[in-house]
Amino acid sequence: MNGIELTGGAQMGVAPEAVHSHLELLAEMGRDFATSQDLEQTLSRAVERITDYVDAEAGALFMLSPSGELLRCDACIGPVEITGLEIAADQGIVGFCVQKDAGRIVRDVSKDPDFNAAVDDETGFRTRSILCAPMSVKGERIGAIELINKRGGDGLFDDDDLHLLQSLSVSAGLAVLNARMAAELVEQERVKRELELAAEIQRSLLPEEKETDFPVKGVNLPARVVSGDFYDFYPLDDGRVAFTLGDVSGKGMNAALMMAKTASLLRCLGKAIKEPGRLLTLVNAEVAETATRGMFVTLVHGVYDPESGHVRLANAGHEPPLFVTRDGAFQSIEAEAPPLGISPALLDEDGFPETELHLDGGRLFVFTDGVTEGYVDEGIELGVDGLKDMIRRAAGGDVQALLNEVRQKIGGAGRALRDDVTLLAIDDAGQSHSADVSARVAEPGATDMPGEKIFQLRVTAKANRLRLIRNAVRETAEFCGFSEADTGDIVLAVDEACQNVIRHAYGHEGEGDIAIEFRHRPDAMILLVRDFADPVDISKIKPRDLDDLRPGGLGTHLIGEVMDEVDFLPPPIDGGNLLRLVKKIGD
Amino acid sequence: MEHQLSESGGAIVIAFSGDIDLQTSPEARKALLGLVGKGQPILVDLSGVGYIDSSGVASLVECLQSVKKSGQKLALVSVSDGALRVLQLARLDKVFVICGTVEEGVQSVT
Repeated sequence: MNGIELTGGAQMGVAPEAVHSHLELLAEMGRDFATSQDLEQTLSRAVERITDYVDAEAGALFMLSPSGELLRCDACIGPVEITGLEIAADQGIVGFCVQKDAGRIVRDVSKDPDFNAAVDDETGFRTRSILCAPMSVKGERIGAIELINKRGGDGLFDDDDLHLLQSLSVSAGLAVLNARMAAELVEQERVKRELELAAEIQRSLLPEEKETDFPVKGVNLPARVVSGDFYDFYPLDDGRVAFTLGDVSGKGMNAALMMAKTASLLRCLGKAIKEPGRLLTLVNAEVAETATRGMFVTLVHGVYDPESGHVRLANAGHEPPLFVTRDGAFQSIEAEAPPLGISPALLDEDGFPETELHLDGGRLFVFTDGVTEGYVDEGIELGVDGLKDMIRRAAGGDVQALLNEVRQKIGGAGRALRDDVTLLAIDDAGQSHSADVSARVAEPGATDMPGEKIFQLRVTAKANRLRLIRNAVRETAEFCGFSEADTGDIVLAVDEACQNVIRHAYGHEGEGDIAIEFRHRPDAMILLVRDFADPVDISKIKPRDLDDLRPGGLGTHLIGEVMDEVDFLPPPIDGGNLLRLVKKIGD
Repeated sequence: MEHQLSESGGAIVIAFSGDIDLQTSPEARKALLGLVGKGQPILVDLSGVGYIDSSGVASLVECLQSVKKSGQKLALVSVSDGALRVLQLARLDKVFVICGTVEEGVQSVT
């Protein structure tokens, strides 16, 4: 392009020697620009050489600021140093050239209304004539190069000078643009690499693939590189499986970081706290306390028992999970609590409400709205009904294949995802449950605990509730017709049983509840003392050796002394321990 | 639960009243152990104790062991029926010196 212009210049009657020299100068500078490691220095040298070549008193290069409002002198040569000088982008001859994207020769500045004398006034330099050419590439304005006061010849710039300067300006502009694009590319590459690292860490937070017959499975497909969705599942030490699926408000890096935090909290605490409602209460308090303003997490967390098919879950403001029974009937589990992070003390000490389900060979699907609102066709969402259709069609088939199919349907056609797609499934179909377990789910203790239930209470497991419990037991025992002495014994036994719950099952005060049920049979009174702690190893509970005077263990001995029957029943289906005490009437 | 301290015939009398259970036994234990090492014999009056549980009994046992080590003597006096029942169930009625009244207690420990 430069060559063509120069040819034009040659046709305008420039001596062959000059063309030769012009060409050499331009070729050299073009090489300089192409190989430059330090563009500023190269530009500065270019200004110096062109000033020298054209034989002008001074030369300056002005760059247009990113906002387009200012022109800044980035390089200059001549008797006055003006590097760093800033002028309005439409000021003076240089401003004119940049705005009009045209070169200009001003032979006598005193006769040109565009000339801005302020710089001369300030520097003491006297400008007589100006040659100015804009730097622009395909209409994108970059700046201009200006030469001042031609020395040789008639002291006036001519068309030949302008053509040369214009050619140089074009290559300088290209060099600047290339350098900027290269810098942008480097920055983009850096950001991309960081995002990929973040995505890698995020993927490591998702659960590892388990053996194919593991009953819980999940898929996640981020809409961007990183995701605000997450799912997790891990076996608990009692054989049950904890599962979580959540969706952080927003997308991108802030959502991804929030996701990492919430997922980590849940995974760590979830192994110790096996009651979903209580776990979410704790995590909610933490998230609400430390979350960035306005961010929240909708989430479902639950515990699944492959032995029984029993699921206990809490839903914090999340899309209702879908439960499909063995027979194909659907039930959606609506959220009964707000999302995590809205308020630290939104709920009382009972924690987030829990829902209990018996899968009984059915399947439970937990998913984010990226699934139901995902496009399966141009502008057509999958919807809950669409998901139900897919689940119905896959009945009896491989659940992982179904998850893959959903992912493929929403994210497979090369369409940009609207939102992260995350889906988790619990497949109870492959699990065999013994009949007695089902019976216990239907009505705990229905077969082996007859008698009329006359009273029950549930209190927080704290020492200061024991007096309350004793009074209730005393009244109930008297009501059932026990003598004063027997009543005292029953009170002692229940009190000791509750102490064991506080001190040994929970290990701390106020960690959970104690529930006591009083049943009355014609021949006996039955007391069921239940906690919601981790199952206690019954083999380790022994009455103390009476020759040993050390404190502790005495309570269990006392219970055995005063009650006719003491036994731990099989752990309740949703965890905890159940102790049965029987006292015969009229012994 | 509350306790009161007094002296009788050279012995310290600590009289408890109310329930000694998981909640109050730490306080009872502290009061009892506070008397250890003072040289005087100790009488623990349980007449006002309607209920004592295993943690309360454990506090008494711990105090008894400490008292023996420091060369003091300890007796339980005026033990209520409820408290006596628990001591019997724990087979501790033979481990503790149990007296009917403070006066008998003073005679047995001095």
